[in-house]
Parts: sequence; structure tokens; C-alpha cells
Amino acid sequence: MFKNLFTQKSLGFILSNALALVLMLASRIFIRDNIGLSASTTLIFSEFVVLPFAMGLICAWFWRKEGLSSMDILKHMLINTFLAIFLSLIALGEGVICLIIVSPLLWCFMIAGAFTGKALFGYNNQNLNVSVVAILAIIFITDASSIHQYENMVADVMVIKAPPAKVWQYVVAYKRIEEKEKYWLFKMGMPSPVQSTADGYYLGAGRKCIFSNGYTFDEKIVTYDENRNLTFDITKQPRDPEIMGHIDILRGQFLLKDNGDGTTTLTGNSWYRLYVFPVWYYDMWAESVTRNVHIRVMEHIKKLSEAK
Amino acid sequence: MFGFVIKHFGFLKYVPLAPHVFDAMLKVWTAFSRPHVLGYIDTIEAELMRWQGMRLTIHKYGGIQFNYHGKELGHIHSNGLLDMPLSRKQKHQLMQQHATVQDHHTFKGTGWISLFIKAEGDVQLTMSIFQLAYKTRKAKMSPTNSHYTVPIFV
Repeated sequence: MFKNLFTQKSLGFILSNALALVLMLASRIFIRDNIGLSASTTLIFSEFVVLPFAMGLICAWFWRKEGLSSMDILKHMLINTFLAIFLSLIALGEGVICLIIVSPLLWCFMIAGAFTGKALFGYNNQNLNVSVVAILAIIFITDASSIHQYENMVADVMVIKAPPAKVWQYVVAYKRIEEKEKYWLFKMGMPSPVQSTADGYYLGAGRKCIFSNGYTFDEKIVTYDENRNLTFDITKQPRDPEIMGHIDILRGQFLLKDNGDGTTTLTGNSWYRLYVFPVWYYDMWAESVTRNVHIRVMEHIKKLSEAK
Repeated sequence: MFGFVIKHFGFLKYVPLAPHVFDAMLKVWTAFSRPHVLGYIDTIEAELMRWQGMRLTIHKYGGIQFNYHGKELGHIHSNGLLDMPLSRKQKHQLMQQHATVQDHHTFKGTGWISLFIKAEGDVQLTMSIFQLAYKTRKAKMSPTNSHYTVPIFV
């Protein structure tokens, strides 16, 4: 029975995933945050780039005599991607949406590794075998022991056909959003903003931003410039295995500008810190999610403000 | 798209893994848009690797490169684009005989040619061009060749 289970093909799948899992857990020890402390929730560049590439290389080594076509390799790497995200779901407690976001990156780097491996091992070409492994190991160790910090701000602007005084009351707090989700990630189950409440209309007041799954962001108003500027710091946010476990929203802001013609230009700003790398991939997603949170809230404010 | 990336993001070839990833993305694109092309590339690769002295490496821009005793005979990107260095005379003859053989997509005015492998006929043509390059290179590298030097094709 075991002989059938541990074929060259299955060994590629099993050992590549086993190595990835061990290194993912081991890297928790080395990864440091911006002040040099251990940051066990931070997921680094190497875990999404070097590891999948190495997984592809391992598969290529075990499959070097299988005579797989390019299409077979692509399909096998797709299976391995699903296997890897399933294991991440079980062993690392990652969320489904987060794994959907990461899967194209994993698949792409696994393919790159598998075809590089095919060129390296497929025709008994021993050149560069050691150097490739050494380069990957150096990149992984250097990256894991480096400090990881990234913060960004997203801004969105909308013109509302109502004076600032009317818009202001809905900026501070607004009733439940009943509109259907438009953004595809919200439709897939990612929590979206549904309501905002405030203890009062004054500086230092507490504010809550409630999400569709019941999660609540606790906020404190730090700038209260009536009809002009509402800035709030996020004081407590849910630690969710989905994307929210990998991003901290630091601060939110609404700026209102009186256009002098009965309309208001509303600007929504959000500052966030990412705990997933590489930035060039995940910031694209973080910006997209933050932007869609802005749009959902700002469209709701617009609708409430423009109602007769 | 491919030309745009090569022209404007060519410097990324110096970033470790970048060419490999670029080619992986091309492969995925080809698998969805023209899956048969991947089969053609496999056929060419399998046939060429049967020839004596041939070695397969990863091309600096991604894709597979075929070397004869360490010297490049040509490379194929995963979108089916074949690039080969030939002599200017060989290039001129091939371009006159076959409309699908074109001036290299980047190195204009050199001996380099480009050919998009799209159909079964392109596989045959690719093999015959590789055969031409192989024979030329083999003859030039032969110790009996009194004019033997390190061949420069472009």
C-alpha cells in the first residue's frame, strides 16, 4: 500500500509541501518587526516567492524521469497550489479569502520553480544546481532576519450634492448600509462596513465601525473640526484569520470641502500597516480592499446626504 | 505585450527569479490562449535534446535556451517565440523563403531571426532552422576546421 502511495509523483507533492510547512513554522522564530521584536503574524516575501519556487524545484527533481509535458506540469502545479493552501488553512489557520488572494502568486512561482527545475535536472544537467539552492537559502535567511515594516495611505474623493453641514452629520455616524455588495471580495464573504456609531459629536468621542460579520473597529475622534475634518485613530480591531489578520488600519479621516455651489467634496483617507510581503503584490490588494471600503461608506454618505 | 515588457522592463532580467516568473506567466497565458503551442514547444525540446552535444538552460529573459557545447543555438519563449542567431546570409535566405521568419523583435539588422511557432508547419520549419544552425556550429567548432575560432554569429 505504502509503495503505491510513495511514488515519485506523490513524493514531489508530499515533500515539497512538507518542506514549505517546516520552513514557514521555522521562519516564525526569525522574523522581526520594525522594532526588532519577534513578529509571528508577519508573512514575508520569501514565504510567498522563494518557498513556492523551491517547491517547484523539489517537484521537478522527483518528476524528472516522469516525462511530463508542459501542460501536465502546469496542472500538477495547480494541484500543488491547492494542496499548499489547504495545508495553510489547516496548519497555519489562514483564512479562505486570504488564501484566494495568495494562490495566483503561489501558482506562478511554483511554475517558475518547476520549469527551472526541469531545465536543471531534466537532462542530467548538473550545472548551477548547488548555486540555485544556495541563492534561495541566502535570500530566505536574509529576508527572514530582516526588519519588515510597511505603511501606506489610500485616498478617495467624491462630490456630494449637499452642503458640508448636512454631509457632516453622516460622516460622524451613519445608519446601517442596506445596499448590496458590489466588490467581488465582499460578495465572496470578506467583511464589509455596514454601520458607524459615535458616542457624541465632540473631540475625544468614541466611534465604532461595524462590519458585516459583526466585527467592530473601536475608534477615537482625534480631530473634530466641524464641517471640515473628522480624524479618528483605530484603538482596537478584530484579529481575524482573513485579511484583517495581516493588515492594521491605523487611522481614518474624512475631509469636507465646501464647493460654494451647494455641493461638498468629500475625501476619505485611511492609513494602514501591512504584515504581508512582498509589498508590490499585497499592497495592490490592500489598496483595492481599502478603496472599496471607502467607496461603500462614501456612497452611503452621499445617498443619505442627497436624500430630500 | 511581450515586446513592451522586453523593451521597457528588460532591466528586470538582472533581478533574481524575475525572468523565470515572467516566463511562467507567459506559459500560463499560452496554456489558456493557445494550449497547443506548449505541445509544439515540448516536441521541439524533446527532439533537440536527442542531438549530440545539446544542453538545455534557462534563457536570461526566461524561456528555454538550446546550447551546443556551451554556445547558444537559439531560445524559445513560452509564448512560442523562437529567437535564433544566424549569419546575415542565412537570415536573408530564410526570410526570402519563409514569410513567417522575421527580423529579430529587438536586434534589428543583425543575424538574429524571430519566428512565432503557431502551427504544425512552424514546428517543422523550426527544426530545419535548428538543423542548419547545428550543422554550421558543428562545422565551425570541429577541430579539423583550419579556420576554427570562437564563432560569432551576430
